[in-house]
Amino acid sequence: MMGPQSYIFERLVRVVFFLVNMVALYLLLRGHNWPGGGFIAGLASASSLILLSLALGIAAMPRILRFDPVRLAAAGLLVAALTGAAPLLAGRPFLEHFHTHLHRVPLLGDVHVGTPLLFDLGVYLLVVGIACKLIFVLAQSTQGLRALVAEEERRYSSPLEQPLEETAGPDDGKERTDAD
Amino acid sequence: MNLAIQPVLLPLLTAVALLFWGRPSPGRRTFTAISAGAQLVVAGFLIHLTYTQSPLVMPMGNWAAPYGIVVVVDLLAAIMLGLSSFTALATILYGFFEASPRIEHPLRLPLVQFLVTGINLAFLTGDLFNLFVAFEVMLIASYALLTLEADNWDVKQAFPYLAINLVGSTLFLCGAGFAYRLFGTLNFADIALRARAMSDDPRVTALALLLLVVFGLKAGVFPLYCWLPNSYPILPAPVAGLYSGMLTKVGVYVLLRVLGTVLPHDLAGVHTLLAWLAGATMIFGVLGAISRNFIRGILSYHILSQIGFMVLAIGLFTPFAFAACIFYIIHHIIVKSSLFLVGGTAALLNRTDNLDRMGNLWRQTPLLGLLFLLQALSLAGLPPLSGFWGKYAILVVGLEQREFVLVGLAILASILTLFSMLKIWNAAFWGSSEECEVCVWDWRWLRMSQIVAGMVAVSLAIGLGAEGVFRVANRAAIQVLDQEAYARAVFSVTGKGAPAGP
Repeated sequence: MMGPQSYIFERLVRVVFFLVNMVALYLLLRGHNWPGGGFIAGLASASSLILLSLALGIAAMPRILRFDPVRLAAAGLLVAALTGAAPLLAGRPFLEHFHTHLHRVPLLGDVHVGTPLLFDLGVYLLVVGIACKLIFVLAQSTQGLRALVAEEERRYSSPLEQPLEETAGPDDGKERTDAD
Repeated sequence: MNLAIQPVLLPLLTAVALLFWGRPSPGRRTFTAISAGAQLVVAGFLIHLTYTQSPLVMPMGNWAAPYGIVVVVDLLAAIMLGLSSFTALATILYGFFEASPRIEHPLRLPLVQFLVTGINLAFLTGDLFNLFVAFEVMLIASYALLTLEADNWDVKQAFPYLAINLVGSTLFLCGAGFAYRLFGTLNFADIALRARAMSDDPRVTALALLLLVVFGLKAGVFPLYCWLPNSYPILPAPVAGLYSGMLTKVGVYVLLRVLGTVLPHDLAGVHTLLAWLAGATMIFGVLGAISRNFIRGILSYHILSQIGFMVLAIGLFTPFAFAACIFYIIHHIIVKSSLFLVGGTAALLNRTDNLDRMGNLWRQTPLLGLLFLLQALSLAGLPPLSGFWGKYAILVVGLEQREFVLVGLAILASILTLFSMLKIWNAAFWGSSEECEVCVWDWRWLRMSQIVAGMVAVSLAIGLGAEGVFRVANRAAIQVLDQEAYARAVFSVTGKGAPAGP
């Protein structure tokens, strides 16, 4: 699917990648009281990764990223869910958040910090993971879509057998035995 | 108060843990089974709490209603939670006995847990927008499960499911926007209080009709059921058991909730329309079932026919009819999913579920035959099995309201149900032919039948202890219809933001 590599495009993307992620971080941090937040920051970060995949090729992405997008998303969901569930331990309602003011922090001055940032971080990771997964699957598919690419299949499945039954059902779809 | 959110939180955390765990293994299965058992225990405790006390309300993030989002567990929601966790536990265990971990798809268990998360959130939610979110969580997990182990033929059958449900979700979003424009709130309790003054406003009727289309589509009410009968047979048996038990019943639950608790009670036109649509659903569903000649196809059409009975009870709209509907839901979820599991076991034994090439099952495996017979007769409504009491109550309400045509349709549908069940019985269990091999050496069927036997035992208990179950259903129905008490429970919880009170 890749055209010929463009040197100019690749160099440019290497710079833009960091710029986009700076913007993403800015969006993530300002999201508490202004437009922004985990979701939009995640989309920005994911778009930077998509730019990178356009410049370097989809096949190079797993090597560069070194993380499994699905597990990144799961980690994000875990962070968000645990942030929501933590107040339950103290008998407070689900998703309650707490804030505090830190005065005269070196370099930053007065800072307002709170647990919503943790929740937003979870959302951010979730969005980055899911958006990357979606785009990579769509970009790699030339003949139909598969839930797991070959590499992931190796990672998830037991070493002895293929995880998916490769037996095609008969054409009328009625006679497939459910498992054997 | 903390318990109210657990039915959503537990499956969500389980799903995430299963995603990290990755490879299917016996340990991963044990973990899933323990989690599903814990969910059932929590749901049972919630039923106990809501039966003895008032509804549980939890404000999310400690922001009180009507501005904050609330989670409300009343008796009906707790009953539905109990049923969903019971069905999930049974089908998960059945799936374990059906296939070894080495050929299990690694994403099936996480997706089932995400599906349960969505279903439970739909039961718990106290506002219209979160109901939409719950539907989306449920539907996205169900799209993925539907096509997870599918071949090209299956994907083609799954496409209408995806397309129609996307249209339904869009309409739901339009309906939520409409409701917000109309009432200025999406909170169920707040809508209930504000809608009472505007019950003769035609816009409220229009909203009710729009929501009727949306939830009727999810529940599979005539003429919006065409997505169901071809998509359910492509599922693997354990997942089909969960789908057939829970997914359409979420639509029925939401109809109960929205027509009973949220919208004003004097929308007589909408209720009558619903009752007649239900009559059509019963007949067309059962005719579809007769036309099929493979077990899963017949059972899929029967879901529709049974949905007709429940929706008819909602359309008749008296407290007793609501109680009958709730009883019918309790009976139907367990019977239907266990029948799908029986069908899966029969297909395993005969290596097909095409009725033309099945047979000899009664002679070789009388246990399975007995299980099928009990559940099939219960579905058709023979006393003293659980289906009889549900149908009896609905027919009594119908006769009281002098809806003789609808009652006649219901009786006709029951007789045809019995006929199509006998079709399965005659071909697969009673019939004998030399060519049909019964693979009794495949030991998996024994363990699978044991799971089904557990479900049949529960179903028998519902039939024999119908008095007690009906008392619970009656209480749930009165609670659902009591808008004042619902609003009082929701607004009595204080938190940050608005002062308590509407």
